[in-house]
Amino acid sequence: MWWYLLKRLGLSVVIVLMAIAALFVMLHSIPGDPVSIALGPRATPEIQAAYAEKMHLDQPLAFQFLIFVGNVLQGDLGTDVFSNRSVGLTLSEQLPYTITLAVAALGWAIALGIPLGCLSAIWPNSWIDRVTGVLSVGTIAVPSFLVSIWAILIFAISLRWLPVLGAGDEGDIIDQLRHLILPAFAVGLGWVGYLARMVRASMLEVMGENYIRSARAFGLTSRMVVFRYALPVAVLPTITLIGVGFGGLLSGTVFAEIIFSRPGIGRIIYDMVLARNFPVVQGAVLVTIVLYVVVTLIADIIVSWLDPRVRDSL
Amino acid sequence: MKDPLLDIRNLNVDFRTPRGRVHALRDVSFSVPRGKSVGVVGESGSGKSTVIWAVTQLLARNAVVESGEVLFDGEEVLSWSESQMMDVRGEKISIVFQDPMTSQVPVLNYAQQMTDILYRRRGMSMAEKKKKAIEMMRRVGIPDPESRIIQYPHQFSGGMRQRAGIAMALLMDPMLLIADEPTTALDVTMEAQIIHLMRELQREFEATLMVVSHNLGLIAELCDEVVVMYAGEVIESGDVRDIFYRPAHPYTQALLECDPAREEERARFLPVIPGDIPDLHMPPQGCVFAPRCRYAAEKCHDVEPKPTTLPEAGHNSRCHLLDGTVTVPSGKSKSAETRRADDTTSPRQVDGAALLDLSNLSVRFQVMGAVHARLTGVSTPYVDAVLDASLSLRKGETLGLVGESGSGKTTLGRAILGLVPAKTGQVLFEGQDLLKLPPGAFKALRRDMAMMFQDPVGSLSPRRTVKSLITEPLEIHGRNGKNLDVEAERLCDMVRLPKNFLSRYPHELSGGQARRVGVARALALNPSLVIADEPTAGLDVSVQGEILNLMSELQAEHGLGYLIISHNLPVIRHISDKLAIMYLGRLVERGNCEAIFDKPAHPYTEALVRGVPKPDPDKRRTLLSIEGEVPSVTNRPQGCEFHTRCKYATDLCRTERPDEQMLSDGRILTCHHPLAI
Repeated sequence: MWWYLLKRLGLSVVIVLMAIAALFVMLHSIPGDPVSIALGPRATPEIQAAYAEKMHLDQPLAFQFLIFVGNVLQGDLGTDVFSNRSVGLTLSEQLPYTITLAVAALGWAIALGIPLGCLSAIWPNSWIDRVTGVLSVGTIAVPSFLVSIWAILIFAISLRWLPVLGAGDEGDIIDQLRHLILPAFAVGLGWVGYLARMVRASMLEVMGENYIRSARAFGLTSRMVVFRYALPVAVLPTITLIGVGFGGLLSGTVFAEIIFSRPGIGRIIYDMVLARNFPVVQGAVLVTIVLYVVVTLIADIIVSWLDPRVRDSL
Repeated sequence: MKDPLLDIRNLNVDFRTPRGRVHALRDVSFSVPRGKSVGVVGESGSGKSTVIWAVTQLLARNAVVESGEVLFDGEEVLSWSESQMMDVRGEKISIVFQDPMTSQVPVLNYAQQMTDILYRRRGMSMAEKKKKAIEMMRRVGIPDPESRIIQYPHQFSGGMRQRAGIAMALLMDPMLLIADEPTTALDVTMEAQIIHLMRELQREFEATLMVVSHNLGLIAELCDEVVVMYAGEVIESGDVRDIFYRPAHPYTQALLECDPAREEERARFLPVIPGDIPDLHMPPQGCVFAPRCRYAAEKCHDVEPKPTTLPEAGHNSRCHLLDGTVTVPSGKSKSAETRRADDTTSPRQVDGAALLDLSNLSVRFQVMGAVHARLTGVSTPYVDAVLDASLSLRKGETLGLVGESGSGKTTLGRAILGLVPAKTGQVLFEGQDLLKLPPGAFKALRRDMAMMFQDPVGSLSPRRTVKSLITEPLEIHGRNGKNLDVEAERLCDMVRLPKNFLSRYPHELSGGQARRVGVARALALNPSLVIADEPTAGLDVSVQGEILNLMSELQAEHGLGYLIISHNLPVIRHISDKLAIMYLGRLVERGNCEAIFDKPAHPYTEALVRGVPKPDPDKRRTLLSIEGEVPSVTNRPQGCEFHTRCKYATDLCRTERPDEQMLSDGRILTCHHPLAI
C-alpha cells in the first residue's frame, strides 16, 4: 500500500512536470509577442529590451523553462502582464468559486444519479428504469450552455425566483447560495444522467454475480444484498469516473461561468487567452492540472481502499 | 415410514427467451429422505441446477414454474411469499456453492459475511455471532480461525475458500444442505479433503444432503441415493448401488461407461455418447434420449416412456426397454459407442525419432521491481515457476504432464513454445536448441509446433468466423500457394466438423465444437508437436471422449507428438504413454504412464492417484490421501519441497533436497524414500 502511494505520488509529479513542459512549449508557439502586448504599441525598443531582460524573455527557451519551473516550485506563478499583480493571488481569489461550483454540481448529480441508477438496476424494465433511461440520454445529449440559458429564462427571468448574474455578495452566504443554484443545476444535469447510466450498468453486472445469488440463498434481505453486497462493488468504477469528472469540471465550468458572469478559473483562462496575458493563462492551466492530478489520485486511492483485492495487490 | 424432507412432484419449469420457451424441467419428481444424502447427476443442460434454484425460489427472472409441487418438511413452498422464503433460505435450506471464488463477495471479510448470515439471530450479540462463526471455521478445518476470519476471500486458497463456504452453509444448522458441484473448481487433493470433510460433517450434524454434480466419483463417494437427470427430465433414480451396479436406463449405462475413472483397463479410445442433447425449445416427442440411444426403436421416438418401477426397492426409470414394449436389438451390449476393435490395451510400442528433449529448463518470473524489492527488504523479487525440468518426447508419443493448479505445468508448456522466456536450460526440438536460435529461424520451426489453449471458446476471437480462425495459422506462416477455402474444408473434414460451421462465430458453437476448432487450428500447419493445455476441461464426460479419440486418430495418422497438460488424472491415464508429475515447478516423477499409475513411487504421485474419487460406491475412501495445501512458490520449503505434506517425511527430507534417481523400471524420481514398486 505505502509502496503504491509512493509510486503514484512520484508518477503524479512526473505528469505535472510533463504538463508544465507541454504548456510552456504550446504557449510559446502561439503567435503574438508578450513584450509588445505588455508595454503597448508605443514603447520604444529600449524599454522593450529592458522589459524583456527583466522578464528573462531574451534568454534561450530552455533557460526560461528552468526559471519557470524553479519559480513554480517556490510557489511563484509569475505576475500579470497588465496589472502587475501576482498570478498566484489572482488565482487564489478565483479558485474557490470554481471549486464551489464543481462540488455543488457534482454533489447533486451524485445524490440523484446514483440512487436512480440503483433503482433502475434493481427493477430493470420497470417504469422507473424507463423514465430514468430516457431522461439520462436526454440530459447527456443537451449541452450545458443550452440548459443554462433555458434555466435563466425560466427561473430567473420569467419566474424571478433566482438571481441571474454574478456569484452573490461577499460575506452573504444565503445570497451566494442563491446565485449558485442555477449554474450548479446547469452543470450537474448532464452528470445526473451519466452517473445513472453508469451505476445502472455496473449494478446490473454485479447483481448477476454468483455472490449476490449466494447472499440471497443465505436468506439475506434485499436491502442487505443491495447495500452491503452489490453497491460497494458496483460503485467502484463510478468513483474513478467522478474523480475524472471533477478534474474536468475545474476548467470545464467555463460556459456556466461566462453565461452566469461568475468569477472562476475557466473564465480567467478564457479571458486571458484572448488578451494574450500569458503568465495568468500559464498559472491557471497549471493549477487546474495539479488539481486534476490530485483529484484523480484521491479517487484511485479511495477505490483501492474500498476494494480489498486491489488493496492487497498493491 | 417418515415423510421425506424434500419432495419434488411433477415440477415443470420454463425459461422465456427471445427464441421462445425453453422447457428446462419437465415432470421432475424425486424426494430427499430425512438424514440421507441424495445425489443429482447430470451433464450440462440437464437442468440439475435449475432444480436447486426452483427449490429455493431463486430462479432467474425469466423462469416460470409452470406446474408441480415442492414440499419441504411437509409444506408446499412454491406458493410461499418472498418473505416466507427468506426465512427458509440459509435457516432451513443452505447451499454450498460451486466456485467459491465467485460465490463469495470480494469486499467483505469472512467475519462480516458470516455475521450477516446470522442477522436473524437478534438475541445474539455481535461478539457471540463472531464466536459462533469462529467455532464453525474451526470445525471445517481452517487453522487459526481467530485471525483468519477477518481475512477476505481472495486471501484464502481454493480449498480453504470452499471450507469457509461450507462453514457459512452450516452456520444456521440447516435441515437440508445442498451442495452444488462442491469440488468442481478444486484440485484432486483438495477435492479429496472436501469430500472427506463433508462426509464427516454430515454424520456430525445429521443433516440431510443433496449433492448436485456431474462428477460420478463424487456422487459415489457421498450419496445414498442417486437421481439421474438428462435434458430436463429425471430418467432414473434409485439406491446408489443400484444406479452404479445395475443401471437400467441406457443413458445411465452410457454415462457410467464414458467416465474415464471407471474404466479399469487403459484404453486409448474412450467410449462416447454420440450426438448432442436436444434443443429444449422443442423437446423430442418421444423419449428425450432416443436421438442418441443405441437401442432406440420406432416407439421410442413417438411415445414418451412412463416411469417404471424396478424390482429393487426405490429404483425407478423411464425407458420403453423396461416396460417391455421395446427389446434390445441383438448384438448390442454396451450403451456407449464401443471402443474400436483395433484398440489394444497394451501400451503401444513407440519407436519414433526423438522430437522434443528438455534438459534443466527453468522459468523465472520477476514479481516486483528492483527498487521495490530493495525498499521492502524482499531478497528474492522473483518466482521460480519451473525448476530444472527435463523431459523427452518421441514422434507419435503422448506425454501427460500432471500437477495441481500453480504447479507450473502450463508455464512449462508455454516456455517450450517460447511464449514465456526460459531462464536457463535447453529445449531441443528435432535436434535444434530453440533457446539459442535467432528469432527468424525460430519462426520457421514454430510452424512445426502448435498449441491448444485452455478454455476452448475463450481462446477463439469472438469476431472471426470458424473459417477465418482455422486458416489463421496459414495466413501468419505463409500459405505456400494453398487455397484457403480448400484448406478450411480439409481441416473441417479432419476434425469432423460439418462444413456449414465454417461461417459461424465462436459463440454459436458448443464446448465440444469449439474444441474441434481448436484442434483444427493447431493442426492447420501439419505440426509434428502439439502442446494441449487441458484439452477436455469444461467438456462433459460424454463429449470429452470424442475430442480425445479424435486427437488419438490424428496422432496415429500423422505421427504427432502430444504433450498434454492436465489435472484430470483419469483422462491422462488413458491417453498417455509417458507421464510426468509436477509439484511446485519441479518434476517429481516421470516415466511410463501405466507403471506409474499402477505403482506410484513418489508419495505425491501416490496421493494424486489415490485422490481421484472412484465412481464405485463400494470403494469409498476412508482415509485422506494427503493433508495440507500447496505451499506458496514465493516461499519454497527447505529440503524436499513436498515434505510439508508428505506422511513419510524424515529429517533428511526436511534438510536436504533429493537428487534425481533412476529406478529399476527406468522411471526418474526425486525422492529420498521412494515407495516400493
